[in-house]
Amino acid sequence: MNRNEDTLSTREADQFGLTAAALLRQGSQSLPAGVKDRLYAARIKALSVKKPEKVRIAQHVLASSSGSWSSGSRSFWDNVGWVAPLVVLVFGLIGIAQWQQDSRINDIAELDVALLTDDVPPDAYADSGFLGFLKNGPLSESDQDSLSSVKTPS
Amino acid sequence: MASPQELSDFLSSVEQRAFKQAVYAVRDDDAALDIVQDAMIKLAEKYGDRPAAELPLVFTRILQNRIHDWFRRQKVRNTWVTLFSNMGKKSDESDDFDPLESLSAPDDSEIHQDGAFKLERSQLLQALESEISKLPARQREAFLMRYWDELSITETALAMSCSEGSVKTHCSRATQALAKALKLKGITL
Repeated sequence: MNRNEDTLSTREADQFGLTAAALLRQGSQSLPAGVKDRLYAARIKALSVKKPEKVRIAQHVLASSSGSWSSGSRSFWDNVGWVAPLVVLVFGLIGIAQWQQDSRINDIAELDVALLTDDVPPDAYADSGFLGFLKNGPLSESDQDSLSSVKTPS
Repeated sequence: MASPQELSDFLSSVEQRAFKQAVYAVRDDDAALDIVQDAMIKLAEKYGDRPAAELPLVFTRILQNRIHDWFRRQKVRNTWVTLFSNMGKKSDESDDFDPLESLSAPDDSEIHQDGAFKLERSQLLQALESEISKLPARQREAFLMRYWDELSITETALAMSCSEGSVKTHCSRATQALAKALKLKGITL
């Protein structure tokens, strides 16, 4: 196989690249002072806006306080702070359930009172005829006459 | 998580290399300094809480993105400048301009002091940097990341948002082109 003389093998190409990089690295060390100063200023500016680290203080304070209320009160409230809304929510739900139950009992009691104080006895509501009477209203005069004529012979 | 000292050390170690890489791309020292500064600030501001081991790859990616942004802005700016420069152009303005006034002689006093070896190295470096600047952008990025930043093929592919095969191809073509160009100048590394 004839390989072009100008073409480097993979090994030669890597060697060339590393040599070139070494040369470039040397060259980058001898930058003008003005450029170095500006790069330094840029670095200082970048460090001044560095994203702050996340500080984990709470656990250390709790560990060191060992139950002391005064020294660890702030971290204690930080930790239990999320519990308070939960407690309020639970008590709220219990209150709503209690109110609904009371409301249901009052409705049933009102119904019972209405039934017991009515002129019609409660057993009447179990009679289908009485329910039909309630549904259709009082009888007309012709119906009353026909009814009385039917009843007269007996 | 990188401490301020670790971040400072990292930036100190890469700033000169980043500047040279930006210069190869944009061929303007001031623009390159602005690009490096923006990249440093972005790294510190957005990724300053990352572990120190992740910083090189993140910084390389930010730097390349900044260089690409610079080219995009230049393209837009050149469009407007070309548009407005054709309006109200005076023919006698060019008579006042003397190109010799804007040229400055290269500061080669150091070369003369340190002798022939340093002169040779300086010329070699100049030739190499010149040829690197002429490479296509993707080839130059791949070459510099692989050999100068010493990133692996996988890391380079990640930084360039391309496949590992593309990185190998870009690197190979860049190396072949550089070797050939230097050989034409009588230089062999």
